[in-house]
Amino acid sequence: AAAFERRVLRRAAEHHYLRVRLELPDGGARPNAAQFKQLVVTALRELHGEVGAALPVDVLIYEEKTLSAILRVISSGFVKLWSALTLLGFYQNRRCAFRVLQTSPFLLALSGNSRELVL
Amino acid sequence: QSILTVCFSVGYSAVALNHVIDFKEKKQEIIKPVSPSELFPSLPIVQGTSKRIKVLTRLTLVVSDPSHCNLLRSTSANIRLYDIIAVFPKTEKLFHIACTTLDVDLVCINVTEKLPFYFRRPPVNMAIDRGIYFELLYTPAIKDSTMRRYTISNAISLMQICKGKNIVISSAAERPLELRGPYDVANLGLLFGLSEGEAKAAVSTNCRAAMLHGETRKSACGVVYTVKKPRQVEEEETAVPACKKAKTQ
Repeated sequence: AAAFERRVLRRAAEHHYLRVRLELPDGGARPNAAQFKQLVVTALRELHGEVGAALPVDVLIYEEKTLSAILRVISSGFVKLWSALTLLGFYQNRRCAFRVLQTSPFLLALSGNSRELVL
Repeated sequence: QSILTVCFSVGYSAVALNHVIDFKEKKQEIIKPVSPSELFPSLPIVQGTSKRIKVLTRLTLVVSDPSHCNLLRSTSANIRLYDIIAVFPKTEKLFHIACTTLDVDLVCINVTEKLPFYFRRPPVNMAIDRGIYFELLYTPAIKDSTMRRYTISNAISLMQICKGKNIVISSAAERPLELRGPYDVANLGLLFGLSEGEAKAAVSTNCRAAMLHGETRKSACGVVYTVKKPRQVEEEETAVPACKKAKTQ
């Protein structure tokens, strides 16, 4: 029997990735990529102040048609970002909601979604 | 009805529709709850399992006077039709009464104003022993920034006293956009000071326990249990007929 060694790494991932979708039901102007990033930073500022707004968040992919994006945030700020996105209510005085579809510490894991499996 | 459709798509497995009764106005009658089967002829199936989504009905009583609690004791036929009963106390005395003697499932904690009373440990511990859950709402936090501060400060003071046990987080959503998914709400629990396991329980296991508490409240009128009696040694050898054997009740 070959001897094997098991290593468990806790909190080793540097970044956390989130796939989110913004729901804007009224048919108004859709935000472009820069405005989307501004919205995320505003959400962080409203909930966690200047320190939250300074959190290094990147928008890796943004699709304007479906208003869905993949965000990357440093692992220590993951809870702050997610809670800020959850509690955001308004975009330019229009009601909106963020739906977080998938989160993972690995970007590859965001490619498959078992909830959208059509059996 | 559109709110419920969104609930199902986001991934909840049981939803409760709330009616709020306020006692400040003069004439208040408890109306019959809207039966869920009227809204949806057939409920969709929960993602990932093969069971259908449950839709329950819930009543919230806003009490600001001890005489309002008499309604709970009266056996009004309409109260029994609701699955879950919640009470919203406005004063410290009523909070104490609700935790210790009232027959409810949930005690709502006000998140829209600064609490007029401080939580004390004895009534909270008694409520935890009785199986009553404390409820926090998160939808006001989405609408207004002052409400956000009150929500978080009230939640933190509750956590300090009850150490995160028996908490249920729910939404008072009036529009489908004010609803958030279950994992998002569990993340909010982390903001309030719960640990990760407690936060997830606040959305899943505690809610289910509150539902079961409501069911037992509706159904239990008395409890029968059997106790094994030690067998007495028979001196005679003749077989005792079955009807004479000691019946254990």
